[in-house]
Amino acid sequence: MTEVTPEPIVDAEKPANRESMTRSIAVIGVGHFLGIELVKRLEEDERYHRVLAIDLYRPDIPFEKTEFCEVDLTMPAADSDLARLFSEADVDTVVHAAFLSRPTHATEWAHELEDIGTMHVLNACAEVRPAQLVLTSSTMVYGASPHNPNYLDESQPLRGHADSRFINDKVGAERQTMRFARENADIDVGVLRFAPILGPTIDNLFTRFFSRPIAPVMMGHDPLLQFVHESDAARALKRAIDIGARGSFNIVGKGVLPYTTVLALMGRLPVTMPHVVARSLSRLLWVTQVFDSPPSFLDFLRYLCVADGARAKRELGFTARYSIQRTVLDFLGVATDDGAPDPDRIYG
Amino acid sequence: MESRLKIASEDSLHRQCPRITVWKTRMPNDTQPPDQSDSVAPTSDGADQDSAVPDAAVPESDWAGASAQRESDPGDSGDFVILGGEAVVPQRDYGPPIESVLPDPERRKREIRELERRVRERLTPAFPIEQRRHLPLEFLWRRYRQLAMQSRSDVVDEFGRDPIVLSRFEPLLNLLYTSYFRVEATGIAHVPDTGRAIIVANHAGTLPYDGVMIMQAMRREHPGRRDARPLVEDFIFHFPYLGTLINRIGGVRACPENAERLLASDQVIIVFPEGQKGTGKLFRDRYRLQRFGRGGFVKLALRTRSPIIPVAVVGAEESMPILRKVTWLTKSLNVPYIPITPTFPILGPLGLVPVPSKWYLIFGPAIDLAADYGPERADDRLLVNKLAEQVRSTIQSMVDGALKRRKSVVRG
Repeated sequence: MTEVTPEPIVDAEKPANRESMTRSIAVIGVGHFLGIELVKRLEEDERYHRVLAIDLYRPDIPFEKTEFCEVDLTMPAADSDLARLFSEADVDTVVHAAFLSRPTHATEWAHELEDIGTMHVLNACAEVRPAQLVLTSSTMVYGASPHNPNYLDESQPLRGHADSRFINDKVGAERQTMRFARENADIDVGVLRFAPILGPTIDNLFTRFFSRPIAPVMMGHDPLLQFVHESDAARALKRAIDIGARGSFNIVGKGVLPYTTVLALMGRLPVTMPHVVARSLSRLLWVTQVFDSPPSFLDFLRYLCVADGARAKRELGFTARYSIQRTVLDFLGVATDDGAPDPDRIYG
Repeated sequence: MESRLKIASEDSLHRQCPRITVWKTRMPNDTQPPDQSDSVAPTSDGADQDSAVPDAAVPESDWAGASAQRESDPGDSGDFVILGGEAVVPQRDYGPPIESVLPDPERRKREIRELERRVRERLTPAFPIEQRRHLPLEFLWRRYRQLAMQSRSDVVDEFGRDPIVLSRFEPLLNLLYTSYFRVEATGIAHVPDTGRAIIVANHAGTLPYDGVMIMQAMRREHPGRRDARPLVEDFIFHFPYLGTLINRIGGVRACPENAERLLASDQVIIVFPEGQKGTGKLFRDRYRLQRFGRGGFVKLALRTRSPIIPVAVVGAEESMPILRKVTWLTKSLNVPYIPITPTFPILGPLGLVPVPSKWYLIFGPAIDLAADYGPERADDRLLVNKLAEQVRSTIQSMVDGALKRRKSVVRG
């Protein structure tokens, strides 16, 4: 049923191409999965002698060498605070992961955090000039469009979505970062665009969407979906920092599946409705704050938004270990430990 | 349940006293202390008993109490029979008792629980796993998943072709191929057995039967049984239900990126350069090939160095005779035009059934553009247009020749 991934569990990490083997790194945004996972991995890697974790709230995990610093990116003077922290710790790598993993109704605040917050980070980087800056983003920035090819590569335009602040703020952050990269050629700027991350522990828009017992299906439309497993995503981020990624990379999982097949695998009840009905219903539920996925999300259930991970494979040496079937089963918590399917548990 | 309890408790007994070297069994009338069996026997919740994360719902006091009781339980030492009658086991010194080396199973279990609790604490505060795993009415849920996965595969290829859906539609496609259109394919060996190729054909009919029939011809009659992927124009590809179905049985949205990706993996693609002008051809214009788009297929052939195989499809242009095209209201319906055929709007969906005309698929010799022109010539607009026009006239002459040989539309 699920394919067993043949790759070795431990892949040979390329040696860091930095001159000094000890690095000092700042991770901005440790309140969600990617940030926390990255800090956990940095804790265990002795090549990084100093780790700054920057967020509003201290995550509830024990730190050994990591120092937590409280900075609010929405504050007007956040950039100088960051610059001071960076220069004090002699930071040579900045990871900007302070992005929301699911839409919020506080769109103004979200804009301040994502778009303006990125500006603050870039300002601080322009001042301190670290060797490397890595930004986490999402493949949703390409937008779901009927004109998308089946596999979007990194050169495709960032269409975003006409009325989604959640996506457009990320597009805004990416545009600023690209401009920054053009203007500062001496800083390695890497942007990682993650496909929808699914897994047993992560909490984001998609895991919430697929945790409901029923799911809307746009009448007659059944696009292919793509996911990346949470452990693959965390590994890709660490790897990009280790080898110094430059440019933008799609981080995607193995394989695609039609949306209704994903629902069937998860045992969710598809509710077929015309797009017009779904849109108004979704808007109503969004405005009344019953559901936490905005109406613009429905376009991703209608049209393709699948990215091509060839560049990450070529330049980062990253390939996903989890197939999409395994990712889905792992998300449900029914995948077995050795990766072999357990038909009893799946089909009863 | 009774036997299970016994096995479990015997197992625990061996673990408790691993020094005993003879097989022991309990007397059949022996009664178990109930609390002890509780602590050792697997939980009766069958689905989850061997999950990676043991059931955390068992309260701590339960097993702690059980172990305390066991230590003080005096009935555990007696009531054994020795199998084999009077076998005498010499009492020797076998070294220190293993209990002193291995931790007490209860303590081990406690430690594992504690470890698990710590791991759980370190997990990102997340959506509770239990909620995903234990849906209400689990029996129904499983039954539903079985039903839902019956008609689909959980593995589709890169472009979304589902082998199970395809095999379900295979009989219908074969019926159309052999009995309805009675397709006759000639020169199919011009398509190479291996490697990339672009099949270029004339296009007609509101519904893309021609692409499906060429695909079917390649699967049934080509010596290499090759899978050819038709490229489908946007209007059909995003048409509700129809587009999804075509995608599942092998169609791919027509765009240069997709075509290049398919050719790069050495597949055969079927393109209809007439595009929408072809499907919307009026009956009076039948077999008069329209402009070949902007020559995208020539650029593709030059860039990927693939041979072009011209194909004339005869019979398809009568199967859906469009008398008029209505463009009124089409904006709001999101279609380019509404075709008026002798049957279509009058008979409703039944009007979409094609005329059972006899079809000929004539495969011409491969045109190898790569032999004459390098990939850099793909940017030469004049050349591209000239080559596209050449391919068009080749197909046009093949169509004209086949039309002359044909005597009747339906009987061939």
